[in-house]
Amino acid sequence: MSKLITRNPHFWSNVRAVAYRETRILRHDKPIIFALILQPVLLLIIFGGVLSNKPRNVPWAVLDRSATAASRKLIADVRSTGYFLEPVAVEGYAEGRDRLHDGKALAMLIIPDTFARDLERRPGAEVQLLLDGSDPLSSARVAGFIAAVVAAFEPRAPTMRADPAVRTPGAIAIRQRFRFNPTLRDRDFFLAAIAGMLLTNVCFSATSLGFVGEREAGTYEQMLSLPVSALEIVVGKLVPHLAIAYALLTGTLLAAGLVFGVWVRGSLLALAVVTLPFVLASLSVGVLVSALARNSAQAVFITVFFTLPSFIMSGIMMPYQLMPHGVREIGGFLPLRWYQIALRRIVERGAGLADVAIPILVLLLIFAVLLVMVRLRMKPRLG
Amino acid sequence: MRWRRLRTLLLREVRASFRDPFTVTVLIAVPLGALLLFGYVLSTEVQHLPLAVLDADDSAASRRIVADLSAAGTFDAMRVDSRDDIERALIDGRVSAALVIPPGFARGLGEAGSGAPAPEIELIYDGAEAVLAGNAEGFLRSMIATTGAVLVNGERPRGRITVVAHALYNPTLAGVPFMVAGTFGFVLSFLTTLITAVSIVNERMNGTFDQLQVTPATSLEIFLGKLLPLGAVFTLDIVLMVLVAGFVLGVWPQGNVFLFVGLSAFYVQVSLALGLIFSATSATPAAAVQKTVLFSVPLVQLSGFAFPTRNMPMAVQWLTEFFPATHYIRISRAIYIRAEGLSELLPEIAPLAIFATILTVIALRTIEARS
Repeated sequence: MSKLITRNPHFWSNVRAVAYRETRILRHDKPIIFALILQPVLLLIIFGGVLSNKPRNVPWAVLDRSATAASRKLIADVRSTGYFLEPVAVEGYAEGRDRLHDGKALAMLIIPDTFARDLERRPGAEVQLLLDGSDPLSSARVAGFIAAVVAAFEPRAPTMRADPAVRTPGAIAIRQRFRFNPTLRDRDFFLAAIAGMLLTNVCFSATSLGFVGEREAGTYEQMLSLPVSALEIVVGKLVPHLAIAYALLTGTLLAAGLVFGVWVRGSLLALAVVTLPFVLASLSVGVLVSALARNSAQAVFITVFFTLPSFIMSGIMMPYQLMPHGVREIGGFLPLRWYQIALRRIVERGAGLADVAIPILVLLLIFAVLLVMVRLRMKPRLG
Repeated sequence: MRWRRLRTLLLREVRASFRDPFTVTVLIAVPLGALLLFGYVLSTEVQHLPLAVLDADDSAASRRIVADLSAAGTFDAMRVDSRDDIERALIDGRVSAALVIPPGFARGLGEAGSGAPAPEIELIYDGAEAVLAGNAEGFLRSMIATTGAVLVNGERPRGRITVVAHALYNPTLAGVPFMVAGTFGFVLSFLTTLITAVSIVNERMNGTFDQLQVTPATSLEIFLGKLLPLGAVFTLDIVLMVLVAGFVLGVWPQGNVFLFVGLSAFYVQVSLALGLIFSATSATPAAAVQKTVLFSVPLVQLSGFAFPTRNMPMAVQWLTEFFPATHYIRISRAIYIRAEGLSELLPEIAPLAIFATILTVIALRTIEARS
């Protein structure tokens, strides 16, 4: 690129001219303005207030055949974790199974009649836990909560309210805390990375639609007949979107802070720096899409079906660390993966510029590769 | 309604759809891509989670705890020398949790039997990755409690409780069947709406929709002429997805396959009617798609595709009952995972039928309004 700039003394003035033209057009583009305002609001509400992975108000059933002080203590201990509703006492195994089948219970705890006696002997007592496998994520968490309670169970210790800072019963007292997010709210997890989602949306669709729309309207050909190169057109079109992206980032961060109390903890400079290669890479993806599509309907299609998987596979909605190898690595090609890594470090964990050096470098690399691909695809072509 | 006119319209639609290679590609690639990608993204297993260990005690007991944690392959222990190291590792995401064993831990453990309080260890989780931390919490606590009991009371202590856990329908709590069943909901809600929306707006731009409206065809015929062929195409898509989910991902419906395909085909009609409404109210394909995306993304998110509706605030749970996708995803999971039959599914089918009626009436109105 630098060679090209030195060869053409008018590079930046040409870019400026294209950028000016692009800004004028954008001001009249209603769908984009709509998307810029309505979409952030919707996503902020959904991810800030609605979606959650954390089981809460878990409905469960208990078949307490022991009905002793020890068994009631165990039930109270499970209840005290704060994740469960008041358990429904069932009379028999079949009744509990039916509740699970109907979705009225996520788990059933079965305490055998020999529980209290076995507790005093070797090898110890056994309880059964029946889980609803049709909701594996919640069931796995519930099983984890119950296993932790059971492992630390002491029949004679008082039941304590769940408080991470409070010492728990058992041979070893565990004091635990959740760094960066003390109450483990999913809200913080989602909101930290929501800017990545919004920027992806805007950048992908802005450029992909912009180029195809111009080709359809015939204005792209007009531009090609001007003394500007294809690269100058591309760069000129990117500049106004960069400004939009930073405005959107600022707006989202302010909204997340003012409405939901999730403020950026780390360096704003680092955030600004890492956003640049990410936005450039995302815009380039849009340009590539526009080169693949023949009309704007196709462009939108390709864009939508790039965007949604990238939300899921980047780790914004679910931790990529849990995905199997293969799927995890595919996600590594997405700019959003690295941007969300950087966002979580800066927004949640208070990282500085040095801590996000690797995401920045990877994003630059992805951008460079995309730029080469754009350069190859965007040959001036007419008709 | 004349059968001959309708047949002409049907033929026209089928030819128009299949002539466009892009549409055909999308119809095949998107469902399969979604299945393969989404099928694997949800995992409940905590495996090889990096764990920082600051062992200031360095005794047999503390080493035993660390060894037990690493043994099952759940955690990969990484020794660090100071709390600063832990902080750094947490910030740049190198570890998901940290374990701090204070000096004097083993001594405390020995004295615990004689009335002294139990020795304390500290766990620090990376709360920034809320899901990961939540999953790790249960594992870490129960593993440490188990080791602790062994250290104090010997290998076969009294008073220990074992949990024998069984998961109904899905013994390994695998995420794949859950996501496969959900992906049907995603594809059939999203792709259908998008395709209809775009197809009609494109016709309007080319002027062929106006031509259609000046023919003697009634709006019901035009409506059916659009809906039925696309419905048939998507039914093929459903069959294709069932086969790929079965042969590639190893997930077959536990219930009746024909019931599943039938109900899915019915749901497709609901989504297609929704797409018709979106397109009838938009001027350009871009606007139609923007509208679809704007409505469908929250719809799919809120319908329980990836996040259980149970965890949502009560008011939102009520709201989700008004989304067709919510009911369809429940049906899909019920048949795929719990092998439920027609009679058990009636409470979910009934609302879908109501939505179908309402949306059809609105769609017919919008087509008429245009003529």
